[in-house]
Amino acid sequence: MEQQTLRQFEARCIQDEPPVCQTQCPLHVDARNLARLIAGGKISEARRLLDRTMPLAGLAGYLCEGPCRGHCRRREVDEPIDMPLLERFCIARSRFAKPMPLPPTGKKAAIFGSGLSSLAAAWELGRKGHSVHVFHVGPPGRSLIDVPAEKLPETALKETLGQLAAVRTTFEAAENFSPEQLDSAKKKFMAVYLGFDDPALKAVDFNMSEPIPVEPATLAALTGRIFASREPSFIGQLAAGRRAAGSIDRLMQGVSPATAREAEATYPTKLYTNLAKVTVKPQKPPADPLAPTPEEAMEEAGRCIQCECLECVKNCAYLRHYKGHPKKYAREIYNNLSVVHGLRKANNMINSCAECGLCKEICPLEADSGQFIAKARLEMTAASRMPPSAHEFALEDMLYSNSPAVAFFRHQPGADHSAWLFFPGCQLPPSLPGETAAVYEHLRDRLAGGVGFALGCCGAPAKWSGRQKLTQTVRDDLHKIWEEAGRPQVILACASCSLFFQAELAEIPAITLWDVLAETELPATGRAAAEELALHDPCAARHDPKTRQSIRTIARRLEQPIRELPLSGELTRCCGYGGLASAANPEVGDLIAGDRAGDSDLTMLTYCIMCRDRLKGVGKPSLHLLNLLFPNAPMEKAALRKPPGISERQEGRLEFRRDLLFKCWGESPAPGWLMNSFPMHISEELASRLERRRILTSDLAAVLRHAKEHGAQFFNRETGRYLTSLRPRQVTFWVEYSLDDDGAYTIHDAYCHRMVVPGVPGCGAGSPASLEGYAAKGGRA
Amino acid sequence: MKAELRGIKAEGWLCRNCREPLQPMPVNITYMGSSFQVELPRCPTCGYTFIPPDLAYGKMLEVEKLLEDK
Repeated sequence: MEQQTLRQFEARCIQDEPPVCQTQCPLHVDARNLARLIAGGKISEARRLLDRTMPLAGLAGYLCEGPCRGHCRRREVDEPIDMPLLERFCIARSRFAKPMPLPPTGKKAAIFGSGLSSLAAAWELGRKGHSVHVFHVGPPGRSLIDVPAEKLPETALKETLGQLAAVRTTFEAAENFSPEQLDSAKKKFMAVYLGFDDPALKAVDFNMSEPIPVEPATLAALTGRIFASREPSFIGQLAAGRRAAGSIDRLMQGVSPATAREAEATYPTKLYTNLAKVTVKPQKPPADPLAPTPEEAMEEAGRCIQCECLECVKNCAYLRHYKGHPKKYAREIYNNLSVVHGLRKANNMINSCAECGLCKEICPLEADSGQFIAKARLEMTAASRMPPSAHEFALEDMLYSNSPAVAFFRHQPGADHSAWLFFPGCQLPPSLPGETAAVYEHLRDRLAGGVGFALGCCGAPAKWSGRQKLTQTVRDDLHKIWEEAGRPQVILACASCSLFFQAELAEIPAITLWDVLAETELPATGRAAAEELALHDPCAARHDPKTRQSIRTIARRLEQPIRELPLSGELTRCCGYGGLASAANPEVGDLIAGDRAGDSDLTMLTYCIMCRDRLKGVGKPSLHLLNLLFPNAPMEKAALRKPPGISERQEGRLEFRRDLLFKCWGESPAPGWLMNSFPMHISEELASRLERRRILTSDLAAVLRHAKEHGAQFFNRETGRYLTSLRPRQVTFWVEYSLDDDGAYTIHDAYCHRMVVPGVPGCGAGSPASLEGYAAKGGRA
Repeated sequence: MKAELRGIKAEGWLCRNCREPLQPMPVNITYMGSSFQVELPRCPTCGYTFIPPDLAYGKMLEVEKLLEDK
């Protein structure tokens, strides 16, 4: 991946941007973190944070006016966080942590005036190892002595002067200031700072005119070795002192004072924070605002909403699961793709995204994690670095759907031409076979010119897995069928098919089943459920407003009350099937489905069969729109129907094909049409274990058939059971079984592994069902 | 991987063809271009190797994943 691709993506994810309180603070104090620490009672840590970012925090913490309050996002809800209160509390309740002084540089600077900016400049220069000489009139820090003692404890200034002495700052009292003093200082010192916030210092003292022109980024005045400021606010004085010190330090290091100063000024933040869920909780004024109690301070700190974006993460179980945010993930993915030797630890994360596009819709800057991940998958497969186990099962299932045993095309019975071609996809027929056949009949009744039928898979799984060549092959096969059918208008029942056709088969005129149904007379069988249903738009229909509208039209015509979910339409959520997320990571797939299921207490209504089955798979009663249009069971029962398992899906396709070919075209199945005609007994518990292990009953049949012909490999004398294995593709299957009196096989366990153990019989790579075999043959037989 | 695979038991299991009880013997198992010599229960005559489910879903799966990410 080009580094530029990463940079462009990173620039769009703003979660790491500092909060507005920090960007608008002249000192860039990390106020959000300060509040978090104080709320958690971590006062010493909070003090260390202040000491890092606020010069002379022991003094400054009592004086800060809190300009952040004018920008705090909390003020849009109630009142801003009282940051001066928190700073005051923190300073009063903690001790200064002495920083490690740097070795002396031997370079000297002079400071005129001992106001807050001068002291801050002295501190910043002194801690860098420079010697600072402060010329002052009256006691050092005199202007601060005027601050009332209840606001600024007397000890604060004294301790500050001690800290300054510890970093080689010397103070020299003068009667007054004069141009000669300045001339002499310019000769003796490398640079001079004039802190006009000290009222004892006046421009006229140095024959200067008011206001003294300074360069704002560096505070350089006159010759460039003199720096000056006159800031009215304490926080402004602190920032000016630090800025002047930064200029002088650069000068001492032989660098232009203007170097790298951009980040020092205040600036608007790019961080987005959604306030919709922030509850109103105004500040509880402390009994004594100048001496808040720990409880009062912690309560105030706890009001901080801890500004952050995470809009996508809040709404995506996948992004939450890996405990980061897109910018972090993008970096991990980029590094993962760059690994030459070593582990690619982000593989699993890359393959667990549903690529549903919700993150992009929600993101204030439209950062598209799904697209970034799709790019990563393409690169992984191109470099042969895609873990084979991630998508193999799903892709073999796709190939099976497109194998001659399953896939077929026919013109409408009795016709030799198709104006239309109904393509229900690979999952609807095995899940709702009766309804699929019924809707085909309905289309034949309603549409003129002949409605052909094609069974197969569109190729979306190949695309999700990042396999470009395979995608192309499957897509070309579909194109051939379309040509063979006489270039009809294709009717699609699956939102993923629809999306795939738009992207990969744009030359084919396609329309969704729902658009057709909405524009024609609905089947007479159609009826509403007895209850209101929550409408779930499949993520593949995110950018298909026409179909979404058709669904609502159909629901209205059925008089089905529907409730729109908070995240619907363009903002709809995924069921976890998209992007092969559930194939590569069933746990994350279920978390994604679980998020959606939790969006409503009502029974869900959807129009994608995988959405329906996956929602039901996590326990959510769910209906497909075809359940309403062609009901063949009470609606409550249909909503609770268990989705077919992996084996039932494969067998279901075969059965659907057999039934439809017979019903519509009077064709009888060829002998041996059912792949699993082996008599087997499998307990329910074992069946669900096989489901998790992705072992098909046809796999068991292949192993047993082999054992029947060649003999099992192991026999257990104690249990009377057999154990046998076969490697029909890139997986070795083991089956433990016993023989029943009636000739059937009772399966006690079955398991598989990918490692190759010598001696296991098998047809290996190149078998018709294997990916390698398919690619080698260049598509369908 | 070698040390963890010691002690894989195949109690009661016989090689059906050779009628021999299984014995711990070295065997080369391979995946993704990597090869490991480990000790597993095998038929001393024909060499057929016994893999129990806890091995398939334990150490073997762990190593498979590791090799796929390598």
